[in-house]
Amino acid sequence: MSDLTIVFRSLAVRRFSTAVVVALVAISAGLLLAILSLRTAGERAFERGTGNAHLLVSRDGSPLVSVLNGLFYANPPKAPIEAAKLKELRESFPWAMFVPTAIGDSYRNFPVIATTPEFFTKFEPVLGEPWKFAEGRAFDKNFEVVIGSTVARETRMPIGSKIVFTHGSHMSREDGGPKIEPHVHEEYAFTVVGILEPTGAPHDRALFCSLESSWVMHAHDRFEREGKHKLVTVEDLEEQDRVVTGILMRLPSREASSAPPALVSQYDRLRRDPSITAAIPANEVQRLFGIVASLDVLFIAMAAATLVSSAVAILLSMLNSMGERRRQVAILRVLGASRARIFWLVLTESTLVGLVGAVAGVAICIVVLFAATQWMLGAHGIVIAPQLDPRSAVIVAMGTTVLAAIAGIVPSVLAYRTSVARNLRPLG
Amino acid sequence: MRYSLRPMQPNAQTHPALEIERLSFAYGPGDRGGFELALPSLTLGRGEEMLLVGKSGCGKSTLLQLVSGLLDPTSGSIRIGGTDIAALRGAARDRFRGRHIGMVFQTFNLLQGFSARENVLVALLMSDVPKSDWAARAESLLRSLGIEQLDARAEELSVGQQQRVAIARALACRPTLVLADEPTASLDPENAVNAIRVLRDACREQGAALLVVSHDPALESHFARIERLASLSAHATAGAAR
Repeated sequence: MSDLTIVFRSLAVRRFSTAVVVALVAISAGLLLAILSLRTAGERAFERGTGNAHLLVSRDGSPLVSVLNGLFYANPPKAPIEAAKLKELRESFPWAMFVPTAIGDSYRNFPVIATTPEFFTKFEPVLGEPWKFAEGRAFDKNFEVVIGSTVARETRMPIGSKIVFTHGSHMSREDGGPKIEPHVHEEYAFTVVGILEPTGAPHDRALFCSLESSWVMHAHDRFEREGKHKLVTVEDLEEQDRVVTGILMRLPSREASSAPPALVSQYDRLRRDPSITAAIPANEVQRLFGIVASLDVLFIAMAAATLVSSAVAILLSMLNSMGERRRQVAILRVLGASRARIFWLVLTESTLVGLVGAVAGVAICIVVLFAATQWMLGAHGIVIAPQLDPRSAVIVAMGTTVLAAIAGIVPSVLAYRTSVARNLRPLG
Repeated sequence: MRYSLRPMQPNAQTHPALEIERLSFAYGPGDRGGFELALPSLTLGRGEEMLLVGKSGCGKSTLLQLVSGLLDPTSGSIRIGGTDIAALRGAARDRFRGRHIGMVFQTFNLLQGFSARENVLVALLMSDVPKSDWAARAESLLRSLGIEQLDARAEELSVGQQQRVAIARALACRPTLVLADEPTASLDPENAVNAIRVLRDACREQGAALLVVSHDPALESHFARIERLASLSAHATAGAAR
C-alpha cells in the first residue's frame, strides 16, 4: 500500500471516465507527435531523394517542379530537351557526371526512367550510398530493364521476366500540354535483368532501361503516325527521336558531400539559358519545406489546441467526480491524511492520467506513422521511414504531463479545502 | 498555517484516554439557526468503555468531531492520552488523529474500490506502524473479526462484514481511543447486538478506550458506563440538528 495505490484505486473506481480521458489525451498527444515526426521524416525523405546530383536540368516550368518530376517522379516532365541542346550542355563544362533521363512511360503505374549506364555507376540515389543490386545487374543492352525494390516486391517479377511498357502514364498532365493517350508498346518486350536493393527514395518504385530502347519505342509511334508500318530499330532513329526530359549533373569536387565552388557560377550560367530550367535539387527541397512551413505551423497549432482541450477534459472529468471524491477525501483525512497529502494525491491522479495518455499517444503515433508511410508510398511514392523522433517524443510526453498536472490544480485545491465534517454525513 | 511536527505532550500511559475540560463550541446563527455545546468535564480512562446517549441533534456527533480534531472548539481542552488535540494544527493534528484515534461510522465509510485488506492498509499508511508489519497486522485484525474475503472489494461485502472491516480499520494503528458514531444505526436489532459485541471485544483486545455515541436505547444494556449528553452539558442548545 502506498499513496500511488490510492491514486490507482481512485482512477479504477471511475474507470470509464478515466479511460475516455486517457484516450482523448492519447489521441491528442499522438497526433501532435505524429505531425512533428512526419515533418522531420518527410524532410529527411526529400533530402535523401535528391541523391548526389548537384544540378538538374529540364524544360519544366520551374526549378521546384523540375526536381519533383525529375527526381521524385511526381509527373512526367513537361517538354523534351532536344539532342542538339543535350550535346551543347554536355560539352559546356567538364562535368563529373552527366546523366540524361527520359521519363514518360510506365509499367503497371510505376514510372519507367530511360537513361544511360552511368546512372548506375556515377549517380548515387542517396548521397554516399551507391546503387546495390539485390539480384542481377545493370542493363548493358537495349530492351533490358532494371527494377526498383518496391516494383519487385509488388509485381513479384523474377529476373528474366518479359514485360511491355505503356507509353504515357497514369500520371496525368495538368499543365495543359499535349496529353498522350496511354497505349501499350506491345512490339517491344523488355527483359528484367536486375533488381535493386531498397534506397528509401522514390527510385524504389521505378524501372530503368536504356535511352535507346525508349527512343526506339517512341520512334515507332512516329513511324505509325507517318503511316510507315515497320518494326523500328536503332538504325531507324533520327535526331528528332533522340530527346531526353532531364539531365542529372555533378561537378568535379574533392569531397563527396560538399558543394564545389563552381556550382554557383554554373548554376547561374544555366539559369540564364531561357530554353531550359536549371535547379539545385538540395536547395529546391529546402524551398519546398519553406513553402509548406506556414501550413506546418498551422497543423502543429491545431494539434496543440487539441492537447489543451484534452487537459480541459481532465479538469472537467475531475470536477464531475468531486462529489464522490469529497467523501473519499474526508475518509482519508479522518484516517490521518493531511490537507497537503490530499492535494498531492489528487494532483498525482491528474498527472498520471496525462502521463498514461502521453505514453499511449506515443503508441498511437507509431501506428499513425506506419499508416502514413504506407499511404505516402502508395499514393505518392515517397518513402518515409516510420521513425519516432525521441526528442519530440520526450518533449510532447513531458508537455502533456505538465498540462495534465496544471489541469489537476483546481480539483486538488477543492479537495484540499474539503470539509471533513460535512462530507462524512450522515453522522446521526 | 502553523504546523507542529510532534504532539505537544508525550502520549504517556499515565494519562487517561480522553480528558475534556471546560469545552465549549458554538457556530451559527446562520440561516439554519445557531448551535452551542458546553461540556464542563468528561474523562474516559484507558481501555474504558462508555456509551454517550442523547436525542438526535443534541450534539453527539459534533462532540465526536471535536474530539477527533475535525472541528475546533471555541474554548476548553480535549486531551487524548495527554495531548491536547485542539492545540495541534494542520498536518500535526491530522497525523495525531491517524495514529491515536480510530473512528467507526454509521455508514462505515469504507473506501469504495478498495478491498477489505486495502481499507485497513490505508489506515496503516497514515500511521507510524513499521511498513513490514502492515500486511500481517491487517490480515490478523480482519481474520480476528471474522473476515475471510480479504481481497473482496468493500462494496462486495455484506453490511455486517463492512461493519467489521470498519472496526478493523479503526483499530489498525493501535489507537488510544476509538470513537463510534451510531455504529448500529444501519443494522437490524440482531446484527446491532453482534456489531456492538464485536466492537467492544476488539477494542478490549487492542487496549483501546471506546466512546460510542448513539440514540438507540437498546445499546444501554451493553455498557457499564452510560452518560447522557444533556445532563453532561452545562448549556446545550440545538437550534438546528447537525
